[in-house]
Parts: sequence; C-alpha cells; structure tokens
Amino acid sequence: MASIQEVDKAAQAAQNIEMVEVEDGYTLTNLPDESITHQFDIEQIPQRDVTQEDLHASAVDNPESWLMYGGNYQQQRYTSADVITPDNVENLQMEYLVQSGVASSMEGVPIVVPGDPPVMYQTNGPNHAKAINARTGETLWSYTYANPQGLLLCCDANNRGFAVYGDKVYMTTLDSGVVALNRYTGQEAWYKSTGDHEIGYSATWAPVVYEGQVITGSAGGEYGVSGFVAALDPESGDEIWRTNTTPPEEWAGDSHEHGAGTVWMTPTIDPDSGMIHAPVGNPGPDFDGTVRPGPNRYTIGTLTLSADDGSIQWHYGESPHDVWDYDSSATKIRVNDMEMGDETRDVVLSPGKTAWVYTMDAENGRLLERSEETTQHINMWKMIPHTDEDRRVAFVPGAHGGNDWQPPSYSHETGLMYMNQNNAPHEIFWEEAQYEAGQTYWGGGLNDWPDVTEPADWNGNLSAIVAVDPASGDVVWRDWISQEVTSDYLWGGSITTATGLMFTGTQNGNIIAYDGESGDRLWQFQLGAPICSSLSSWYDPGEGKQYVAVQVGGSGWLHGGRRGSTIAVFGLSEE
Amino acid sequence: MPQIDQEDRRQFLKVVGLTGAVAAGSEFTLSDLRGEVEGETAGELAAMGEAISEDLTGELDAGLLGSELAALEGQIAQLDELRAMGVPAEDSTAYQELAEPGWAIHEHLVEVGFFESVEENLPEFTPEHIAATARELISTGALASALLELGYTEEELTSTVVNVVNNKERLAMWVPTKNIPAGVEGFDPANIAPLHQRAAAGVLLWTDYLDTYLWQNEVLLTDTILDNNYGDLKQMYAGLHLLANAAEDLAGAQELSDAQLTAALSAGAAMMIVGQEDLTNDVMRITDEMRAPRTGGA
Repeated sequence: MASIQEVDKAAQAAQNIEMVEVEDGYTLTNLPDESITHQFDIEQIPQRDVTQEDLHASAVDNPESWLMYGGNYQQQRYTSADVITPDNVENLQMEYLVQSGVASSMEGVPIVVPGDPPVMYQTNGPNHAKAINARTGETLWSYTYANPQGLLLCCDANNRGFAVYGDKVYMTTLDSGVVALNRYTGQEAWYKSTGDHEIGYSATWAPVVYEGQVITGSAGGEYGVSGFVAALDPESGDEIWRTNTTPPEEWAGDSHEHGAGTVWMTPTIDPDSGMIHAPVGNPGPDFDGTVRPGPNRYTIGTLTLSADDGSIQWHYGESPHDVWDYDSSATKIRVNDMEMGDETRDVVLSPGKTAWVYTMDAENGRLLERSEETTQHINMWKMIPHTDEDRRVAFVPGAHGGNDWQPPSYSHETGLMYMNQNNAPHEIFWEEAQYEAGQTYWGGGLNDWPDVTEPADWNGNLSAIVAVDPASGDVVWRDWISQEVTSDYLWGGSITTATGLMFTGTQNGNIIAYDGESGDRLWQFQLGAPICSSLSSWYDPGEGKQYVAVQVGGSGWLHGGRRGSTIAVFGLSEE
Repeated sequence: MPQIDQEDRRQFLKVVGLTGAVAAGSEFTLSDLRGEVEGETAGELAAMGEAISEDLTGELDAGLLGSELAALEGQIAQLDELRAMGVPAEDSTAYQELAEPGWAIHEHLVEVGFFESVEENLPEFTPEHIAATARELISTGALASALLELGYTEEELTSTVVNVVNNKERLAMWVPTKNIPAGVEGFDPANIAPLHQRAAAGVLLWTDYLDTYLWQNEVLLTDTILDNNYGDLKQMYAGLHLLANAAEDLAGAQELSDAQLTAALSAGAAMMIVGQEDLTNDVMRITDEMRAPRTGGA
C-alpha cells in the first residue's frame, strides 16, 4: 500500500498522454501499454456492496447517496438533501479540493456511495479515475485505462463518470468499451469492447446499471458508424442484448449502415415501467441528407426501449431528416404524475438542440406540449445553399444547440426544468469542390462565433440558463450569459435541491446557486477555470453536512477553455 | 399542391424556352402550352430511353407491375379521404397502406436492377436536362393524361411541373451515386442507393412515418399544415406514378416513346424529390410561427 505522498503512477501515466489534432478530429499518443492502478489507503473504503435497492433510492429516497450520473434513474439530477437553503446558501464553504493530476477534459459527475466515510468515485479524460474519501478529499486509489493507439475522437478525450453496483464501478472507454473495476481496490475485473474504434466508434458517457444489466451506448456519429444501445452482464461483461438505432427497414438502400443515430449520453430509466429513454444523435452523414432520404428513424430524438430485451417501444423525432447536426443528446428526464391541465401525466422531457423543450407522453411519445423557444431562433432550419461558391448561412441555435449534451435538471420543489443552453450563431457552408467528381463533398465546413457573419436580430448573448415549466411550455426565467471571451459558452449540467435551489457552473469558472423559482443568483464562487461538468450533491450524516461537488477544468468541442484538474467540494453544516 | 405565383410562372416559361405572346405571364396550364413547345422524337432523351429499354426489357414482371400500379392508383384515389381524416388515430395504418403498393413496385425494381440502369443512363439534374424533360412532358399529353384520370386537375399538374422546373438548385443537390467520391469520412458509396431509388424510397419512408408523426404532433398541427401535407403527398405520388407507369409500360405495352420514357423517369424522380423536400419543410419543420397555439397540455 502506498502513502498519499507517493507519486500517483496512474495519474503520471495519464499525464504523459497527449491529445493531438488529426485531419478528422483528435487522437491520443504516448498511451500506456497496460492499464495502471495505484493504491493508496484503500482500507478506508467501507466493504459494503451497492445493491439494486440502493440504486433505486439514490439521491431522492436516500439523500446520502448520488449513485449514478443523473442522480436517480429518471435523471432528474435532484437531491432530497435539504441542509442548504436559499436562506443559508451564502454560508456555503469550500471543504476541499482534489487534484486529479490530469489536466484533461473534465466533464464527469462524481458519484458518492454512502458509508463511513462516504466514497466518491470520479473520472476525467482520458479514462483516468479515482476513489476519494468524500469527507477529506484523500485519494484512495487511482486508475488509468490503457487505450490503444489509433483512436478517432471527434471532440475531446471525454469521460463523464462511473456507474456503480455490487463491488464494482463501471466506466466507458474511448476505444468504445466498458471496463469494470473492483471499487475497493481499483483493479480491473473485466473489459468488454462494444464497437470497433478503428472505424470510429468511441465511448464517453457514464453507463447506468439496472436490474442486472450495465446499459451502455455508442458514439462516433461523425464517422459513419451505426448507433446502438446495449446491455452487458455486470459480473462478466457478456452482452445481454443490443438494439440497433438504424434498422434497415427505416432507411433507403443500405444507407442505414452509416446512418449514425448514436446514443452518446446516459440513457434514462423508469423503474416503474421498465422503460429506457435513450437520447439519440444526428443521422450520418451529418450535412448531406440526399443520400439518406426519409425521416431517418430513429435519429435525433428520444428512443424508448424495453429494459427487458431492448425492444423498441416508441420514438419521437425532433428534427426528422436533419442536416444541421441538431442532435438530441441531452439526457432525458422522466417525471411521473406531473400535473398537466386537469390531469396528471407520466412524461418524458427532452431539451433538444432545436431549443425547445418537448414534453411527451411517457407511454407512447405523443407530444403533449412544446415549449416557447429557450434560446433565439434565427434562420433555423434554413437550407444551406449548395450550388453557389462560398455561400453560407449564420443560424441560431448553432451547431452547439440549444441544448447540446449538457444534462438538464428537474426540481420536485418548483416543478421546473433547468437547462444550460447556447445561443451563439454558427455558419455551415459547402465547399466549392463538392460536386467535382473525385473531390470530397460530404461535410462542408463550420464556422464558430466570432468568425461568423452576425445574423440580424441576434441579441449578442452566447448562452443562457433557462427555467421552463414543462406542463405549460412557458419559459419562466432566463439568465442570459454574455461574456467578452468567446469561449465562455455554457458546457455542463445543473442540479436541484429539495429546498428549491439550482446549482450550475459556467465556462468562466463560477459555480452559481440560483433561486429555482425566481432565477435570482443567491451565491457564487469563482473556481478559476471552466466548469464543463455536471454537479452532484449528497448529505453525510457522519458530518451533518450537505455537500456539492463539481469538477473544474476545460473541455468541449471547438473552444475547450483553459484546462484544469480539480474536483472542488463545498459543504454546509446543518444547524 | 405547391403554391406558385406570377414570378414562378415567368421563370418556368423562360426555362422551357417560351418567351413570346404565350409567355406574357398570364395564367396557363400545361395543356395551354401544348403545341407551343417541341418535344423530342429523336435526340438525347430518346437515346437515353432506348438504352434503358435495351437494358431492362425482359427483366421486368409486367403482371406484378400492372397489379401494383393499379393498387397504387387506388391508393392515390384515397388521398382526399386521408385529408378528410385529419389527424390519424393512434393505431392508424392509413398512410402505411398508401405506401404499400409503392413499396412492392420499389422492391421489384430493386431486384431487377432497374434503378441502377436508370441512373447509369440518365444524366444529373442539370438545368438543360430538366428543361428538356419539361418540354417533353408539355408536348405530349400521354404522361399527364393518366394522372388526370386519377383525379389530378390541370392546375395541380401545372403547379407541380412549374415547382420542379423552378427548383433546379435543390434537384442538383441530389447527385447520382456513381458521381459520389469514395473514401470520405468513412462512407462507402456502395451503401448509397441509386438516385431514382432514393427518390422513391424517400417518398415511401416519409409516407410510412406520417401515421405516427401526425398523431404524435397533433398539438402543433393546423389546418394549413394538414393541407400542405395533402398537397405535398399529391406531388410526390404524381412522381411515383410517373415512374411506376414508365416501368409498367416498359414491361408490357411499350406505348411510350423512348423520349417519353426518359421524361417520365426524370420528371417522376424530380417530383418525388421536390415533393419530399416540400413535405419536410411544410409539415415536419414546424416553427413557432406555423404551429397551433400552446395549450399547456389541456
């Protein structure tokens, strides 16, 4: 057993990895030959396996836990912990900082297993992970996965966190796999590849464990893959079922083979009905719909599967036959018994890149309401001119959304849904060479703000934090984010509390507590680097404190912002 | 059906080469223009049609095509009822039934290599080819008469042809598969269907989606959107009928001239392409300005 003063060999291996730009994205070099686990004082980890009952109770029935990416299966990102309130949030103090030692993409959500002490499990890019004493911030073990050479990454070396069950934690890997680690020791239990990384598959989201299955998905929508959702055995990694998202009968000719429709964020589950609500991304190729006519089911929207066998139950498409990369990759929120009109409804809430919130009947995907626009809509769905040289259109929402992958949250207290959204204009253009035989013509190109002709009526705000009433579709409040630094768009998710608070972070380094009802900023703390992650919160009865954790450091597609490697944890004692 | 205005008519007449008294910009139908333009009896369109005919004679199943074409005509005759139905019921299969004969024709044409042959022998949607196709359609009544018998009006057919001719830029985006370069972003052109198959499959896939789509999105729909859905379907199915009619003729009676065969195949594909793009814009991409007022689920 190593002491905490020793060099963290797993972190050191991860530090050596370099992300380099290649023609079609990024790849990693200086990768370790084999995965590395470095143990510190692992005896601090209480030896109690996480049960299915624990998972069902996560965050809501048991505020001492935050056992999965979205807090609970319904991905409401809501804690019933109630120590921090609008009246005392100004007293929220930083408890500790953990340096992961790896200044890479920081998009993950720390999960917390209750106990004495509670243990935090955290990941960041590129597939580096830690177990941490959630009271003290002490690292208990550290791990770096040995990705192979030749990865093809569209956007960054992302990883968004662990799932936990029994004596294991589960992480997706950039080579399109899932690795299971013994959560007491950090040692690998098994690895399962779910897609061929050499043809563009990768994996970045946090998986979710449900009733004897590790549910995982697929990334690589920019590389001509075919999307899927799959269930693996938590003990062995053996595949239990797999559902393809581009079935041949829904596509013209063989275009389904490169139809994308990837599921690159964590699926939502409703334990009452056994339904999985998967967020589905763009069809492929992104910008040329003429080779894939028709609606391109089941891309861009919510795809609902039976957790029993992965069979498709329903799909709601938000941008049929899309050519603007308007993924619907944000995690879906399931709310049962939501008051709507004169009745209560079980609903699925989806914020798409289209910058509307879709409130759907959970049984069949029927649209019950579509909200007011949550960002501006300028030149939306306008076809890009193809035949004239250098013609281009600036449009809002740009290719970031509306709501890109950033997970929304829902408050039981206010009944509102909260989203980090983007309002920056982008330009897609086609290149002159596109129709010359033998020349590339697929993708055209994309300009990011500020290298864009400013569209008329654009309000100049890059982002917005938005609260929507999903029953009425009303935008209840909106905090426009306008920064002088062009990279300061929002790039992470939010959480809500039983006391009506909403926490989120901004790309310019502020963690903010909002009054969820009014949108008033009640507290904020400058952390010095971009916040691109989605927070978590829990109550520790041993300390009598409620904690809020956030990972700090740059990440993201296009502008990444300044890198960091910090996990910041705030706490407030109950009176 | 597509809404066309005076400027659309002027543009159309310019493309097909009518600039005299008849092109004064007044209302007209295709029948009014017949005799004013000359189609081809010999020439490029005829040569293309002859090549297709040589490729496929003997391959096509006249019996299957005849019966499925009759079924397709029966479904087209139901379009008015579909509009009257409004938003489909949850378990509706009415739109899927509309597509069924089209799928049967599509499957057969895929099996015999019809679409590959058509794509091999026809050019891209250049302005010149579109203009020649339109002139052929205008100069002979044979192709339009079948649609008139199905209940299309002169005005509807005219607006459809004007819409196609005036959308040459959109049509140019639909590149024949043989012209798509290999080795780009991992896509293999071998996975992409021939152009005319994409046109037909697109129409059928959109139709299959409508039962679900309209039912799921009722809260967004207005009468205008439903009217547009009906008009765009009429446009798409006029194109599908032209293509199916040409295939059936080729398999059996061979009453169409080679130039008419080419015109039917090109115009049919163009109507299906422009029609499905219109459907996408009119029915699927519903903006806040287009949608029905919010009700909050009440």
